[in-house]
Amino acid sequence: MTTSPRPSNPPPLRLKITSDPATLASTRRAVEMFAAQCGFDETARGEIGLVINEALANVIRHAYQGATDQPIEVAAQKTDEGICLSVRDWGLGVNPFELPPKKHDPMKPGGVGLICMRQMMDDVQFHKQPDGMLLTMCRCRIRRKAPGAKEAC
Amino acid sequence: MSEPLKTNSKLVPAARKDGDALVVSIAGEIDLNNSPELRAALMGLLQRSPSKKIVLNLAQVPYMDSSAVAVLVELLRKLNGGKIFLTDLQKRVQGLLEVAKLSTIFKIVPTEKEALA
Repeated sequence: MTTSPRPSNPPPLRLKITSDPATLASTRRAVEMFAAQCGFDETARGEIGLVINEALANVIRHAYQGATDQPIEVAAQKTDEGICLSVRDWGLGVNPFELPPKKHDPMKPGGVGLICMRQMMDDVQFHKQPDGMLLTMCRCRIRRKAPGAKEAC
Repeated sequence: MSEPLKTNSKLVPAARKDGDALVVSIAGEIDLNNSPELRAALMGLLQRSPSKKIVLNLAQVPYMDSSAVAVLVELLRKLNGGKIFLTDLQKRVQGLLEVAKLSTIFKIVPTEKEALA
């Protein structure tokens, strides 16, 4: 069992990175550290880190089609209930939730990142921008999806 | 009988042929930045030492993302009906495999020894 750190009141985290996969690990670690300051336990921090990694990897692969020099802005802020993350890109602006649904086949690549986002966050929304996409994802410290959990947000 | 195999990636610090199985240790955090290197290392080993049974020891992998999962799935498809055993999983890796429902296509066992039994 993991223990939750006592939540503090961290200032919002803002990172400007490029679409280079080499930025993924340091960005993930920064977000995980921020999640710790928001009071998330080790398991939750790991899931939040994986989700931001998958969101950025999707931007790199799909929105920027592998280009490594394009801008991405990542933000995280503590909320009363937990944490909200955002990822802004200036790429192709395709909302993956509007694509025709495909049944997940473990033998076929693709789709795992979106599954992680849906399962590990409580609210995931793609907001189309005139020049790209803004993805927002929020997670509560006490998840309403967890069996028997108190509804907190 | 165990025969050590040369590897050319720090992500794959050790590999050997053990009977009919290709046994590979993987080390490090795997994400989109280095999963192409992992792919090249694993495909190279399989090409040099064809096998229908691969045992991947993930004891030294604290983290992997969906791009690493895609490499493992591609490796499984290459085996054409063969089996991949994943052993010694750390908690975060196990969580990802569960979410991706990969326990249905890989044999997940606690230890390398059990995979080779």
